[in-house]
Amino acid sequence: MNSEHVAARTALTSGINYGDSVPAGAPNVASVSILPAPVKIVIRNVHFFYRSFEALKDINLPLYDKRVTAFMGPSGCGKSTLLRILNRMYDLYPGQRATGEALLDGQNILAPGLDMNLLRARIGMVFQKPTPFPMSIHDNITFGMRLYEKLPRSELDGRVESALRRAALWDEVKDKLKTSGLGLSGGQQQRLCIARAIAVQPQVLLLDEPCSALDPISTQRIEELIAELKSDYCIAIVTHNLQQAARSSDYTAFMYMGELIEIGDTATIFTNPKVKQTEDYITGRFG
Amino acid sequence: MNSEHIIKGYDEELGRLNDTIDQMGRLAGSQLSSAIDAVVNRDGDLAAQVVAADPAVDQLERDLDSLALRLLALQQPMARDLREVFVAIKVGSDLERMSDYAVNVAKRAIALNQVPSVEPTLALPRMAQLAQSMISDIRDAWIERDAEKALAVWRRDEELDAMYSSFFRELLTYMMEDPRTIGSCTHLLFIAKNIERIGDHATNIAENLYFLVHGTPLGQPRPKGDSSNLAVVPPGRSEVVP
Repeated sequence: MNSEHVAARTALTSGINYGDSVPAGAPNVASVSILPAPVKIVIRNVHFFYRSFEALKDINLPLYDKRVTAFMGPSGCGKSTLLRILNRMYDLYPGQRATGEALLDGQNILAPGLDMNLLRARIGMVFQKPTPFPMSIHDNITFGMRLYEKLPRSELDGRVESALRRAALWDEVKDKLKTSGLGLSGGQQQRLCIARAIAVQPQVLLLDEPCSALDPISTQRIEELIAELKSDYCIAIVTHNLQQAARSSDYTAFMYMGELIEIGDTATIFTNPKVKQTEDYITGRFG
Repeated sequence: MNSEHIIKGYDEELGRLNDTIDQMGRLAGSQLSSAIDAVVNRDGDLAAQVVAADPAVDQLERDLDSLALRLLALQQPMARDLREVFVAIKVGSDLERMSDYAVNVAKRAIALNQVPSVEPTLALPRMAQLAQSMISDIRDAWIERDAEKALAVWRRDEELDAMYSSFFRELLTYMMEDPRTIGSCTHLLFIAKNIERIGDHATNIAENLYFLVHGTPLGQPRPKGDSSNLAVVPPGRSEVVP
C-alpha cells in the first residue's frame, strides 16, 4: 500500500470513535449535500481469511447511520466478503475467519460468544438473487419475526403491512398475501426480501448487489426505496454498477485485491478522486 | 495512469471533441490576425472573408455541443473524463465568442475604409499581437493539458487590459484634439475593446484548463489591468483623468 493510499484512508478514518459525528478535517466529507451523521459501525484492523488466503487486508472504515455507503471494485476485491463479515455469515463455513473489530454501537460484533440470531436481526441482508421463502407472502414476512418475538396475530398483521408499505410493495400484493412469494416478479421478490429484512426492525441493512438481477425499472424502484429507507437505517450496498453507486450512495469506498484504496463522499469520489487507481477504475482505464 | 480507455470508442469520441476544439482555436487565431490586417491595410476583401467565415465557426460550436452531449449520454464519463467534456463545452463557447469578436473587428474595418485613416490605428497591431500570443499559447497549453502554461496566459491578461486602458486614453485625447476624427476613433475604440475581450476569453480558457487538470477551480481573482472604466474628461478640462 503506497503512501497515497494510506493518506486517503487515514484522513477519513483517523480518530474515529463510536459516537463521534463526522470527524473535523476529514476530506471529501464536507460536501454540501451530506449533513453530519453519527457513526454506526466502526471497522477496525479487519483481516479475513478463506483458509490461508487473505481476502481482506487491514480494513479500517466507518459506516454512518442514516447514510448509504457503497462498495465498488473489480470482482474478487473483497467487497462482498466485507459485507458478510458484518452479519457473521462466515460463521456458517469452516475455514473462514476474521480478525480485528467491527464495533456496532460500540459492541464488537466479531467477538466470540455473541447471539448470532440476535445479531442478524439487528443487521439485515439482501442478496443479489432474490431469495423468497417457499411460502406465502405473509409468512415470508412473519417468519423472522416469529423467531424473536411473541406477537398477537393482529400486531403481526400490522407489522406485515408496515414492512410491505415501507418496501413499496403493499399496493401490489395486499390482495394476495396468502399467495406464494415465488409467484412474484423478480423486482417484486427483491422488494419482498427487503420487506422481510426490515420487518424484524434491524438497525443496519446490507445489500449485496440487490439490483444485478433486475430490469432497469425495478432497479430504479429499489434505488428509490433505498433513498427512503436510509432515513431509518445504516445502509451498506455492494454494487458492480458505478452509476448506481453514484446515484444512490452518500459515501463510496473503492476496494482492490482485499484492500480499501479510497473512501470518501460520493460526489467527490466520482468527480475528483484522490487516488489514481480509483480514477482509473471509474473512468474505465483499469487493466 | 493508463491514458487509454479499455473501450477504444471512448477515446475516439474524446479525440473528435478535441479535434473540434483545435479547429475552432486555429480559426479564432487566424480570424483575428486577418481582421487586424484588414484594418491596418484597409483591405475590404480580407475583411469580407473574415465575416464570411463566421457561420462555419458557429457550426463547429454546434458540432462540439452535440459531441459532448453524446459523450455524456452514452459513456457516462466520470472524474477527469467528466471534467474534459464539461470544460470542452465551456471552451467551445469561449472560442466561438473570440471568433465573433474577430468578425466584429473585420466589420469595423469595412466601415473605417470609407473614411480617411487616423493615426491611432497604428497602435492596434501591438495589442492584437499580444492577444494572438495568448491564443496560440493557450492552444499549446490545451494540447499538452499544461496548467502552468495556462497560468502564464492567465497572468498576461493584465498586460492586455493595461494596453487597452492606455489606448482608450490616447483615443479620448486624440478625439478632443480633432473632433473630425470622432467617427473613426469610435470604431477604433470598439475594435480595441473587441481585442481586449478576446484576451478575456483566452483567460477563461486558461481558468477552465486549470480546473480540468487539477479538479479544483483556480480560486484566485483575476488581476485587473483595465482602468478605462474610471477615466473621465471633466468639464472645462482638456485631459483625461486619472
